Amino acid sequence: MSNTICVLPCNGLDKCAGDISRRVALKLSESEGVELICPVLLNQNKTRYDKILDDGSLSVIDGCNTRCASKLAGSLEIAIKEKINVSEVAKAQNIKLGAAIRDDEEIEDLIQVLLEKMSISGEKQTDSQFIETETVDYDSFSHGKFIFKVPKNNYFFNENDCWVSISGDIARIGVTDYVQQNLSDILYVDSPEIGLEIEQFDELGSIESSKAVFEIVSPVSGTVVTVNDKLDDAPELVNESPYEKGWLVELKLSNFEEDKELLLDFEAYFEFLKRKVAETNV
Amino acid sequence: MSESTFMGVERDRIDWSPRIDFSKCNDCMDCVKFCPHQVFEVNENEKPKLKVKNPNNCVVFCRACSKTCGPDAITFPDKPETTKMIKAIRKAEKEAASDE
Repeated sequence: MSNTICVLPCNGLDKCAGDISRRVALKLSESEGVELICPVLLNQNKTRYDKILDDGSLSVIDGCNTRCASKLAGSLEIAIKEKINVSEVAKAQNIKLGAAIRDDEEIEDLIQVLLEKMSISGEKQTDSQFIETETVDYDSFSHGKFIFKVPKNNYFFNENDCWVSISGDIARIGVTDYVQQNLSDILYVDSPEIGLEIEQFDELGSIESSKAVFEIVSPVSGTVVTVNDKLDDAPELVNESPYEKGWLVELKLSNFEEDKELLLDFEAYFEFLKRKVAETNV
Repeated sequence: MSESTFMGVERDRIDWSPRIDFSKCNDCMDCVKFCPHQVFEVNENEKPKLKVKNPNNCVVFCRACSKTCGPDAITFPDKPETTKMIKAIRKAEKEAASDE
């Protein structure tokens, strides 16, 4: 695999966020080894880009939460290696974009921030300190054509269908089988930054399929120490092995005894999930 | 525990549901199509068309519909505040139970 980076920007030419994504893409394309992908042509004739996509990795720039560019990649089943959302970054920077196209200092600064974010990947992280148990025992139940698995020991759950497993003062976190089946093929995992301190139930990144974005609601409080970087190239591990190989993040725990009071054990989650599946039409 | 509780607290005591900024909403109804819990309702003849009909059907801490919203018109209450409130209610209930 060569290192070509294929940049697929939003095509909202008539809106501020779209215009910014176009400008970021153009800036990126000035570097060597970066190829631009026109979303309109990609949609019309994917074969035009087959070669560069086969040889490289895809970076997506979404203008807003309609996520046209991500959805296009999803519908064509192209795995996304890296992505950024202009409106979300603007919000985090306290910049109000509005609808009209702008060309001022604030927008210039935002473009700089976006460019930096696109190039800083693979921050330093410690190797996983989590000691895995040799085998995980599961129980399962079926609903229609679906079978839902839940691990029986050493896992706790929140009512937002995220799990946590503990090894010493390290918590490993992921999503349950129910989530991965609901989302179907996971195309992208958005990991939190190393060193981020979070409270229980804070957002811990998200995972995304062509169907939806699922926010990871952290079952515990702590500091992000490790993210599962295998998911960068193989987000499908979340589908294949949601409780083991498809883990998402590891935190150094800050107050597990208190967090635990608001978590479900296997028996409680198994019953909770059965009820939930019976109530919603999956 | 009945289906109308969250972490053992009655659902209607937890203030968690989408807030819609109608100055931004563009009536695309992506949120309605997305939410499997019938939180929203569409009234074609009313203005605005979109209504948060069943706020207590909303899954506490879920903000997924806001992530489908292109114009970013949906917000939610503060998470840490909500967690604090849930903990306080649980504590009060525990104390009340041990007093009996």
